[in-house]
Amino acid sequence: MVNAEVLLWFSTLGGYPRCRYLRRILRDFEQGSASRWEVEEAVTRASATVIGVQVASGALYVSDGMLDWHDIFRPFVDAWRGVTSGGLLRYFDNNFFYRVPIFVGEPETSYLVLAPRVRKFLPLVEPSKLKVVVPGPVTFTVMAENRTGRTFEELADRVASLLAEEARRAAEAGAELVQIDEPILSDPEVSVDTARLSAELCSKIARSAGVKTSLAIYFGAPEVRVYEAVLDARVDYLSVDIATNPARALELLKLKGFGSHAPVLGLVDSRSILPDDISKLVELAKEVLAGYDGEVGVTTSTWLDLIPYQYSLEKTRLLGLLAELLAQKLRAQLVRRGGT
Amino acid sequence: MGVYEVPRKFPTTVIGSYPKLPEAEEALKLRKSSKVDWSRFRDLVHIAIRGVVGDYIEVGVDVVSDGEQSREDMVVFFAENLRGFTLSDWVRVFDNVYFRRPVIVEKVEWVSPVTLEDWLYATSVSQGRPVKAIVTGPYTIVEWSFVARHVDRAELVLEVALALRKEIEKLVEAGARYVQVDEPALSTRPTKEDAQLVGEALRRMLHGLDVKRIVHICYGRLERIFEYVVDYSVDQLALEFKNSNFRLLPYLKEYSYSKELGFGVIDVHVTKVETEREVLDAVEKLMKLGVVGPEKIFLNPDCGLKRLPREIAKAKLRNMVEAAKKAREIW
Repeated sequence: MVNAEVLLWFSTLGGYPRCRYLRRILRDFEQGSASRWEVEEAVTRASATVIGVQVASGALYVSDGMLDWHDIFRPFVDAWRGVTSGGLLRYFDNNFFYRVPIFVGEPETSYLVLAPRVRKFLPLVEPSKLKVVVPGPVTFTVMAENRTGRTFEELADRVASLLAEEARRAAEAGAELVQIDEPILSDPEVSVDTARLSAELCSKIARSAGVKTSLAIYFGAPEVRVYEAVLDARVDYLSVDIATNPARALELLKLKGFGSHAPVLGLVDSRSILPDDISKLVELAKEVLAGYDGEVGVTTSTWLDLIPYQYSLEKTRLLGLLAELLAQKLRAQLVRRGGT
Repeated sequence: MGVYEVPRKFPTTVIGSYPKLPEAEEALKLRKSSKVDWSRFRDLVHIAIRGVVGDYIEVGVDVVSDGEQSREDMVVFFAENLRGFTLSDWVRVFDNVYFRRPVIVEKVEWVSPVTLEDWLYATSVSQGRPVKAIVTGPYTIVEWSFVARHVDRAELVLEVALALRKEIEKLVEAGARYVQVDEPALSTRPTKEDAQLVGEALRRMLHGLDVKRIVHICYGRLERIFEYVVDYSVDQLALEFKNSNFRLLPYLKEYSYSKELGFGVIDVHVTKVETEREVLDAVEKLMKLGVVGPEKIFLNPDCGLKRLPREIAKAKLRNMVEAAKKAREIW
């Protein structure tokens, strides 16, 4: 018998890799043999495909795949005055590099990044719900170069203000979930003070958004004291990467729980091409959720853009299967495609 | 071929890769085509290597490399030439740049020389300057591949190390005197266990070889594992300093560093060319620490130069070499 009180849904965490067609158009654009219009058309078509894959799999919240973002910071760096893109640096422990944002003055919005995307892609996500993703203000600031003369805290607060406005306008345009990505919180050297700042600034973004919000931590689980500080964040969902180090994540979550948040469990390993063992993941999830009977989200360990395109589609399918099986085992109600 | 005398103090060198010359680009395209004309491929690669070594000689680099002109990518190249790998579809490295991430599907074994031919050719045109033999390290190969085998990760790293040992033996037999193992992935997961695993892999790859044994590591948080890295059984650590604003310098002092140091004084991620003065300032910072003398300091870029335009790469090396000359007069 299904327990109607226990709701379970799933959503891939974030961006998708680019398909061959889009890679080629972007390369042609860089070489001057494709127009900006052709690029936009290709992005729209490729985004429609990854949106379709998510909707078809039954995901409750669907992203547009962020296929045209070169890294999580770049669209905001391009859209803001007072910050430019610098040299390449490795993105956490991946063989992937991002361009370091260089803040040279008070950042100001020149144009909005998310709201126009929401308006463009909202018609394609029916009957699922559209989510938008913003980089966490602390991750953004830690991974940037600060030449503003302001303190780290002041700059992070300013970044949070701009992201809060992005979130608010995206929600007004129709986004139903704002996900705030703070992977830096999994870094073993992050201090408790930094985690507290993150919780405070994510709360600020959440207040502004006025829709459901999720704080996502990935590339590993955070240290216990960092996690304790993060539990103060006033967001609806707390998303934790379990797949990278299941034993450590399990220990943390059993010890500290989820506070007042609904947990979102990063169970499907989005950095491996091996198919996940769904049965094992169900058992792991049951262990994590022992004694908890509220709403649960299931997701991927991180974005899917670190594996080849075809595997990202397969992982999306696996996530859907996992959610279905887990809902059966928990006797939970699987919420999919915008309704029950 | 004359014998080139490497300066006793502050010799200059490179980490390995150089911007792909047009002939190398053409060669790599050729290799991807279904009908590979290997003779044409070799000819093109040789032209490219000759061009790279020519640039090094022109600006005055003392210990050179083949510029890794036939390597599409530092991991893919070995995956294509060792047994046990297939290649996946494309995975993004940055912006709109991709690599075919290797997949380890069965036991990794050395089959035939991987880097030897390029090294031999570079040596034949280097006018006596030593050419570094450079292999991607086993930890990095495993970390930057997908693993489609159910195998213990540490065992897999040591298995790849064994395969690479055979490659290094061939290089040494052919006369290589500078052998560098590149392990950039280590600094991305700087844990004691992984640092010790790399140490063991290096020991197995390099023990008993009468050559200058170098390990190159760059970026990330190397300071977290520096206490283990300084104990590696190598003669030289070639490290990135410039990009991270010389953050690692105090750790040299803290751990009483005494090996040779490949001192990264050129940021390969920015196109701004470092001035001679900037390079000299960097050397001064190091000399003020008083940990190693000028005989143990090699000046090099932070990492490979492959992402830079050729003229920028050359200009950076030129200023580094000129700064080294001045440094020899000062210290």
